[in-house]
Amino acid sequence: MLHIAKQTAPIIAILTTLGTVQAAEVKIGMLYPITGGGAIYGSPAMTGHRMAVDELNSQGGILGMDVLSVERDTKLNPATAAAAAKEMITKDGVNVIIGGLSSAVGLAISEIAKQEKIVYIATIPKTIQLTTTKKHEYVFRTASHTDFEGDAIAQIAKQLDAQRICDIQLDYAYGHDLADGIDKGLKRHLPTAKKILSLRPKLRATDYNVFITQILGAGCDVVTSGLWGPHFVDFAKQATPFGLFKQIKYITGGEIGSHEIAGSLGKDYPDNVWANSYELWYHHPNQEHETFQNLLAERLGTEETAMWPILALIGVRMYAAAAEKAGSLDAAQISGALKGLTIETPVGPRTIDSETHQADTGQFWGPMVEKEGVPYRVMDPITYIPAHIIE
Amino acid sequence: METLVEFLRTGMASPGITMLLNNPNFVLIQVLNSVSMGMNFFIIAAGLSLIFGVLKVINFAHGAFYMFGAYIMYSVTETMGLNFFWGVVGAGVGLVLLSAAIERTLFRFVYDKEHLLQLLLTFALVLILGDFAKILWGTEQYSVSYPDNLAGATNLGITYYPSYRLLLCLLGPVIFLAMWLFIEHTRWGRITKAATQNREMLAALGINVPLIYTSVFIVGSALAGIGGALASPFNSPTPGMDAIVIVECFVIVIIGGLGSLWGTFVGALIYGFVFNFGSVIIPNGQDIFAFLILLIVLLFRPWGLFGRPEMEGH
Repeated sequence: MLHIAKQTAPIIAILTTLGTVQAAEVKIGMLYPITGGGAIYGSPAMTGHRMAVDELNSQGGILGMDVLSVERDTKLNPATAAAAAKEMITKDGVNVIIGGLSSAVGLAISEIAKQEKIVYIATIPKTIQLTTTKKHEYVFRTASHTDFEGDAIAQIAKQLDAQRICDIQLDYAYGHDLADGIDKGLKRHLPTAKKILSLRPKLRATDYNVFITQILGAGCDVVTSGLWGPHFVDFAKQATPFGLFKQIKYITGGEIGSHEIAGSLGKDYPDNVWANSYELWYHHPNQEHETFQNLLAERLGTEETAMWPILALIGVRMYAAAAEKAGSLDAAQISGALKGLTIETPVGPRTIDSETHQADTGQFWGPMVEKEGVPYRVMDPITYIPAHIIE
Repeated sequence: METLVEFLRTGMASPGITMLLNNPNFVLIQVLNSVSMGMNFFIIAAGLSLIFGVLKVINFAHGAFYMFGAYIMYSVTETMGLNFFWGVVGAGVGLVLLSAAIERTLFRFVYDKEHLLQLLLTFALVLILGDFAKILWGTEQYSVSYPDNLAGATNLGITYYPSYRLLLCLLGPVIFLAMWLFIEHTRWGRITKAATQNREMLAALGINVPLIYTSVFIVGSALAGIGGALASPFNSPTPGMDAIVIVECFVIVIIGGLGSLWGTFVGALIYGFVFNFGSVIIPNGQDIFAFLILLIVLLFRPWGLFGRPEMEGH
């Protein structure tokens, strides 16, 4: 018996060590679309996520443990995202889920996080529902939300003295919630304005002529919108020959001020567009941003870097700070630690509200203008509109 | 229920209806929107229908060929700096080469297999070509500029309309006419038509049926590529663009009749009109009318408006 014990002792020791190695790892589940149409944003977001994980590991990890990134593709599909989230939790044993792109996907992941009692940090989804009607103990958001964005659009509409407004939003959670956010903002800042037309092209629409001609026929002086990414690119390309941007001012959320859109449209970027972005590679609000942007440029091999990496990076940093504060990887304790937590980021400090679980994430806004010697539009002047709604 | 009431309320109160009733220019513009949209889809869907008509393969990868056409247009015009015409030529030639390789190495082995196997093959191709496009062009979205002389609007006397869209309104019927003349009035066309009816009889008559199949697959795929190139100035080349267009093309060819050129032409126009006028009448329900028509066709004439029912024993 003793003989068997002596023989098995080293094996047990090795297994125990392996067990310790496995346990001494923090598994961060990452969910972004990395194939298909959403990869345009998901791939750069993944770069930011990996940057943050590398940064943590180079600084000793989280609570002294190595950080492992478990990555899955949502394909921009809520059902796929929910299945991937479930698998990450039950099979891979992740400690947290970070990411999501599109409001519908964010809501789907949040439901799984609620069922499984695991922290989910939404880095990109903006629907207000995530931190209001669908809020739960384990969901937190470091992105902005549709009420903040809608309020900023209303503030700009006021500056432009808009009176007759046409609104065009994609027909899904983000579009509907942003339209509501704009309505609330207009009541606060510009109660005299009238919304005379609301249009809802479907998500992934490709032909906007019928909507463009309705806007032109309605007689509005400002268009408010949240058409994002390729939706805006197609809309702009189709609306320009109709002269829409020469006649009507266009205020848009959806990060149409980011370099991804400006660089993609180049000289085809239309006039009279006021847009937003979380981050601009050519604008350094602090010293850390310059360092971050240089590192990102090195990683991506281009000076003109994308905006999405910063969002993913902030999500990972927020989780790491919460784990350190909690001194534990227990989801309930991390949820508690996230409430009221402030971290420094390359775009300024971010604090999570302990009641709403929402970070005070404002955005840069401004008109997109031509600049001599530059083949794409840039935002100028740049105004940071903070995430504070004053009733 | 409340959502349905809200939906109907917003639809009925649509300012678009007022514009339709009171503004003849607005009606004309919607007609032009419908025709230009329909013709853009016709160019793409004609290839899908042609391939099914002769090869009896429902090619899900047709959308991927469309996407490749758009990407090639981007590379030729924006990266290589050549003009728009060469972009269209490049997309056509590129798709000829790509589709020839695919037909010779993959498709020819499944013509006699069951439909499920063919569908799985084309679905696998969608995924492979999607990743291939990502490797070649990355995940960014690109913008292709309109040709300089077609970037603005044309004065039609009573209204202005984007010149490029007018070109599509003309190009669709030209391509339709060219295909119709080829199929109806050339020997090669008549052989192709015969291949849709009885391929065994053609082979017995000494016709090189595999060559017909390869040619049809190449022409059909090149049409998808040219359609993608022509759409690229207003539909930015992006990953995933194939998945959107293939659904619309299937709706069109099912309404018109799989394998029927006339059916595809009329189906594309029907789709354009019901989408555009439907979107004006019910802004939040753009697809309702098109899918309603699809439903009616499937229930009462499943072979499509211009298609022929498959006869037993064939």
